[in-house]
Amino acid sequence: METLEGINASAGIGIGHVLVVEEPTLEYESRTVSDTEAEKQRFHAAIDGYVAYTQAQADQMAEQVGPKEAEILTGHIVMIADPYMQGEMEKLIDGGTCAEDALSQICDNFAAMFEATGDELTMQRATDIRDVKGGVLAELLNKRPVDISLVPQGTVLVTHDLTPSMTASIRPGTVVGIVTETGGMTSHSAILARAMEIPAVLSVENACKALADGVQVVVDGGRGTVTVEPDPDVLSAAQKESDRLAARQEELKRFVGCRTVTADGTRVELFANIGKPEDATQAMERDAEGVGLFRTEFLFMDSTSMPSEDEQFEAYKKAALICKGKPIIIRTLDIGGDKDIPYMGFEHEDNPFMGFRAVRYCLAREDVYRIQLRALLRASAFGDIRIMVPLVTCVDEMTAVRDLISRYMAEFDNEGVAYNKDIQIGAMIETPAAALMADELAKVCDFFSIGTNDLTGYTMACDRGNDRVRYLYSTYNPAVLRSIRNVITAGNEAGILVGMCGEAAANPLLIPLWVAFGLGEYSVNAASVLATRAAINRWSLDEAKAFAERIMELSTAAAVYEELKKIEEE
Amino acid sequence: MYSKTVTLVNPQGFHMRPASLFVAEVGKFSAPVKIVAKGNEIPGNSLMAIMAAGIKCGDEIEVKAEGEDEQAAVEAIVAFVESGMGD
Repeated sequence: METLEGINASAGIGIGHVLVVEEPTLEYESRTVSDTEAEKQRFHAAIDGYVAYTQAQADQMAEQVGPKEAEILTGHIVMIADPYMQGEMEKLIDGGTCAEDALSQICDNFAAMFEATGDELTMQRATDIRDVKGGVLAELLNKRPVDISLVPQGTVLVTHDLTPSMTASIRPGTVVGIVTETGGMTSHSAILARAMEIPAVLSVENACKALADGVQVVVDGGRGTVTVEPDPDVLSAAQKESDRLAARQEELKRFVGCRTVTADGTRVELFANIGKPEDATQAMERDAEGVGLFRTEFLFMDSTSMPSEDEQFEAYKKAALICKGKPIIIRTLDIGGDKDIPYMGFEHEDNPFMGFRAVRYCLAREDVYRIQLRALLRASAFGDIRIMVPLVTCVDEMTAVRDLISRYMAEFDNEGVAYNKDIQIGAMIETPAAALMADELAKVCDFFSIGTNDLTGYTMACDRGNDRVRYLYSTYNPAVLRSIRNVITAGNEAGILVGMCGEAAANPLLIPLWVAFGLGEYSVNAASVLATRAAINRWSLDEAKAFAERIMELSTAAAVYEELKKIEEE
Repeated sequence: MYSKTVTLVNPQGFHMRPASLFVAEVGKFSAPVKIVAKGNEIPGNSLMAIMAAGIKCGDEIEVKAEGEDEQAAVEAIVAFVESGMGD
């Protein structure tokens, strides 16, 4: 028995047998062919196989993830179908070149030409043509990746990185655990695993080598451990824990359809975080009372050009309609130089997290912001849409945004377009500056939502992705807790709703503090809605306040954590 | 042979979406169509070759066809390019 450690990215216990899914190596030996007709047949069979396989993947992707993601794959089919390009490859085969070389040379030529254009959009397509080359090569070499949709029940997937196409192929109930060699809490792999409620441990060094196909493992996604060939007592303990979690899930069902109240009956709101309009469906199914954070970046990242006002309007309207009149807080574009969106014209920055991003970018690029704000206003006619501004640091930013919105409202009045005249406009509180100025900001905001992830990072001046300083990144740190308390108090005194949309909102250890501080709205992952409702329900206001008083006297993150943990165990 | 010159109006140039629509338009005619851009001749049925040419907004291109429906082909394709090709 051996235990591997990694990042606890998606909670739960998975007991199953390993299947290592590795990207096939596409090495081959160049040959000269004499039967060129047969080689051309082999070449075309490979393309046909690739097209059929990719189309099936695209269909699955469209169904399980979304049509936008599927477009990437159908684009690959369009590329390889190019008759001129195929003709060039055939010419090489006619001259005695083997299919693998013909394919590689022509694809590499095109990739090089794309890169030489100097046009960002076309240069990006070079990656696509390399993907196509890899896919057709895999067909020629008979090394098609393992079809995950066919794996047996009780499979633990072990892979370098969980790709969207792998995710698309996972059938519910077959994969009981995921182990990867890369990725962190907020990586693509982690988000997908949590969305599918599959226990996952990420960043396990050399997992693909250390774990052999067929070996039994216990994946503990809550602790971040993978136990290889568990002893009988470990196995039975894991089984027990797994049963306990299932029972807990069952127990939580009694909170379905209930209002979210503290033990003494104080009502709070419990919303969900979403990244796409479709996610609102899951949020509603999981009994969220609204959407507390709708990240709009997907619209921009998934597109090759600036999404139009109509495209954005349709996306926001769709989400609003799914929410059926429940509140939906939509965060305006939160993006900067750390994200590569060619058409947005970001320049490289030495320190993008402190740089030209989010509301700073939007206020400087009114042409971009106008499109989004007008789309949001139009969609507000279809539900309780509220506008949230990210990375606010000063009062003037909020006033500037409000001025823009008033101007667009006047445009719509002239055009006779419907919108919600009382739309709420609030700030995401995620910088120390905003937390310190919360009382003044409250005068120009209809609500606050505390983004604990960035507030923790900016308050502690540390990058959570940097292994050397990650130890400082902790919401348990008294500096962060004081900051949060200050924001909630200021908001409540001004009579505006204060919510929280970071990971800390769903942390059962911290919930008594939020109850004591008077947090009015919790926005959590859809999967955590019921557990959060149950955790809030455990505390009465008086108990929580007495407890918080003790906690707030402590001076270190470690002491805070120890004390919170003690209570949890009581 | 029939040919005509037209200016590309797509703000982001001849990228994947307009190029695939262009190729579909070319496919409606029997006469083989070619584009001449920056002195290079590009097969009009090749999405990849068109994208690789890096034709930008404001660039002039010559559309030429040779075959039975050459005139109809060139006129229709030029009108299509002028319309902005769905962008």
